[in-house]
Amino acid sequence: MSPMTKQAMERILENSVSRRSFLSRLLATGALAGLPCGLLRPGTAEAGQVWEGGYQTFRNACPRNCYDTCSIISYVKDGVVKFVEGAPESSFTRGGLCVKGNSYVRRVYSPDRIKYPMEQQGRGSGNWKRLSWDQAMDKIARKILDIKERDGSLLGLALTKYSGNFGITNYGVEGMMSSLGYTTRMVGTPCWPAGIDAQNFDMGSMWCNDPEDLPQARYVIVWGANPAWCSVHSMKFLYAAQEAGAKMVVVDPVFTQTAAKADEYVEIRAGEDCALALGLCRHILDRGLYDREWVTAHSVGFDDFAAYLRDNVTVEWAAGKSGVPIAQIKALAEEFAQARPATIWIGYGMQRHVNGGAAVRVLDALVAMTGNVGKPGGGARYGHLQTWGFNYHAMLQKPPEGSKGWLGASGPKGEFDVSGGAGNAKYADRALNINKTAQEILDAKDPPIRMLWVACKNVLSQDFDRPKMLKAFDKLEMVVAVDQFFNQTVEQADIVLPVTTLFEDWTVNASYWHYWLSLNEQAIKPLHEAKSDIQIAAALSRRMNELAPGSCTFATEIDSKDWMAREFNKDIYDLFGLSSWEDLRKGPAKAKLASSASWADGKFATPSKKYEFRSDLCAKNGHDALPMYKEGRAPYDKLRLLTPHHKFAIHSQFQNLDWMADFNPAPFVYIHPRAAAQRGIADGDMVRVFNKVGEVRLAARLTSDVPPDTLLMYETWYKGLAFNCQNLVDDTSADMGAYKTGAPGVAIHDQFADVARA
Amino acid sequence: MDWNAILIALRDFFSARDGRAMVAACAVMTATGKTPPDRASGLPQAADELEYAFNRLFVGPGVVVAPPYASVYLDPDCRLMGESTRRAAAVYDALGLSSSFDEELPYDHLALELDAVLAFRVLGAQDQSAELDALWHYFLHDHLACWLPLFTAKVMQAPAPLHPEISRAIAFLSAWLAAAIKDLPQESLPMTHQPGGTAA
Repeated sequence: MSPMTKQAMERILENSVSRRSFLSRLLATGALAGLPCGLLRPGTAEAGQVWEGGYQTFRNACPRNCYDTCSIISYVKDGVVKFVEGAPESSFTRGGLCVKGNSYVRRVYSPDRIKYPMEQQGRGSGNWKRLSWDQAMDKIARKILDIKERDGSLLGLALTKYSGNFGITNYGVEGMMSSLGYTTRMVGTPCWPAGIDAQNFDMGSMWCNDPEDLPQARYVIVWGANPAWCSVHSMKFLYAAQEAGAKMVVVDPVFTQTAAKADEYVEIRAGEDCALALGLCRHILDRGLYDREWVTAHSVGFDDFAAYLRDNVTVEWAAGKSGVPIAQIKALAEEFAQARPATIWIGYGMQRHVNGGAAVRVLDALVAMTGNVGKPGGGARYGHLQTWGFNYHAMLQKPPEGSKGWLGASGPKGEFDVSGGAGNAKYADRALNINKTAQEILDAKDPPIRMLWVACKNVLSQDFDRPKMLKAFDKLEMVVAVDQFFNQTVEQADIVLPVTTLFEDWTVNASYWHYWLSLNEQAIKPLHEAKSDIQIAAALSRRMNELAPGSCTFATEIDSKDWMAREFNKDIYDLFGLSSWEDLRKGPAKAKLASSASWADGKFATPSKKYEFRSDLCAKNGHDALPMYKEGRAPYDKLRLLTPHHKFAIHSQFQNLDWMADFNPAPFVYIHPRAAAQRGIADGDMVRVFNKVGEVRLAARLTSDVPPDTLLMYETWYKGLAFNCQNLVDDTSADMGAYKTGAPGVAIHDQFADVARA
Repeated sequence: MDWNAILIALRDFFSARDGRAMVAACAVMTATGKTPPDRASGLPQAADELEYAFNRLFVGPGVVVAPPYASVYLDPDCRLMGESTRRAAAVYDALGLSSSFDEELPYDHLALELDAVLAFRVLGAQDQSAELDALWHYFLHDHLACWLPLFTAKVMQAPAPLHPEISRAIAFLSAWLAAAIKDLPQESLPMTHQPGGTAA
């Protein structure tokens, strides 16, 4: 045979018939017997190993704790995800994904993925050994049993988990902890708790309008949110509102991409949202532009609020505090009050302050007093949990018989805690504040925290006061990190376990912003040795029960698809008009809403069943009964430091992918030219940003998009770079959050620092 | 040189899960290749040190310096499970072989490809087959020879001093590849090859 060209050979190889007949004469002689192969075996490739056919499509859902929680279609050929696109059936996702979602293929098949269970010989040493899953589970199980023997309980085992993977079955991580006994939980949320409490005090629950009714708004204020980067699918509804004649105003200390799309930008002094909102309320009151009929019929305490405004607030005062000119405040107030309907998108950024909950209450009041609560196109939009009524089968697990635990008070363990608390149980889990994780680990006694399980979270990139966290890690006897990439937490772990991507196991996902429900099908087999969180729990349970029968109640064998199905119930089916979860294989489903507006029937979930301008519940929880001004945090350094989200990342996820690094290879600190000039800093200079917490070195970028008294750097994790903004963010609490989520929020944007040339 | 023994040792080295297996494979290479043993290899911590160095280069969990997968070098975007992965699996399939590791070990992992090389060598010695020659030519010239030099270059460019055992394994791998290409009938060499990867 004359030499074949590469192309000719590949044509033969790409067809299973020609490929398998090519050497048939030779192979028919039994030549395969006695080959020295140690890895390959005689046999035919299974379907999926080689080219077999066309594309299969699967339903997936982005589980990354984002407003948009996109419905995804993945295209799989020969067992490999080739590309993804947004599901066209969802009028929210509408066939498109964001820059992060479009990079998912890269995430699955990145050579940087963690492939195997591994153990580090000396934290931070970089000396890693491979473990089999059996070896890893054995080491972990023996440690857990050792803790139980030493302490008489498992309170020395702590879990910190948040929203890095937000599938409903991922709550099986909490379930795994419960199935071991009473443990220590880092409770609360770094994300949105102050606002959750505020809306609960005002309306009885956090419940936003359907974002798809934004086009009905005649006036939209986006206050402390940047959807152009962080909720790109919402932008089309904002644009539709603008096209229909609505005015869009953005209130933000930073001139964001969303501000650039607005009709008017209001540059507010960070942390003075209370003052500006109160000034707006006062002017509306003075002009008689509030909705007297609505507040009379649907609220309590408005007269008290009005009296507070008259006695304590002036527009001039509000202008002085917020930095927003008097004329702009008055115009904004008059326009907002006279537009019907008008709405405010209350961002999570504006409540990450020591007065953030108080500010959300005033914004709620502004929307309510203008009669915009309960109206399609109106509303104080913050978030909702209306579509999260799953069974939480994976999460709700029972401790083994005879388990001992915490005897102290027990509150909710985060915003998604549906367990109903400890009830009549004698013992509970020990709840520690997730937003003070480092301090809590350092302070915990009787027993101390000996072991930390980290799942769906990157503690050393996302938790506050990183220098303190490193000290806290020194106290821990074992750290187990479950992750997909080698981030700064894995770097400080003893054992790392590889976890599946969204394409590699089943789950179901809901949104806290829109009203769509998405199935997440297993589209491909897990790559390398990755397992999902519930499969890891099952593997651990197997080993626990082998070593000490009855020591773990978690199922030892799990069918992930079955466990996904067990999360559904009649209420979910009724809400979404489903006869079975299988209906979701045809596409995502939207909740059947009586109205696009929350609180459309005027019946609130407060004690009075009305909107509560005066909330005794709020007072009982240690705050002002009325929406009142609350002082911001006193500066502890020369410039304010903001650390918001980047468009290429959700917290510490996505930026590490090389596709992102192509566009955004390294961090900057953004400085106003005036502040830079005072310090002799030119654009591109390497600088030190420093404060009482620590120091960060990075390049400076000069821009008047940030105020002169403000530094900004985006919070994210870059592969291979030491950059970490949590070296500059302390763990000071926000005012609210403990009522509904178990711990107050954290004042992420009440941080201060100075900068100098490096 | 007993290339079959070297190839078995290389395969076992690159598929080793722990330092002990790595040391054992290295010992075979040392004995077969008649190269002096590494002075440190007798120390108790030698297996651990080799394992740490091996994992930094080829396994993780950190960013892997030289991923031992063909598709990283041959496919666009340095990814796993690309078209090159399928081509490797197709070659095995044509040989009547398959991998039982499935997605756990992508089909174009160096160890699997070296296993296939062994199959080619033994089958070729057993029987003269023009088809086998053609397939071997393709696998060697249009696949292995396109990525192994890029892979070994990455290893040699690693920031830290290279562990001597890894250095030796890479040297054997390069030497085998050079010898294998030299053995190809010269008239069968295609004119040019353009690697599709961006890994260089």
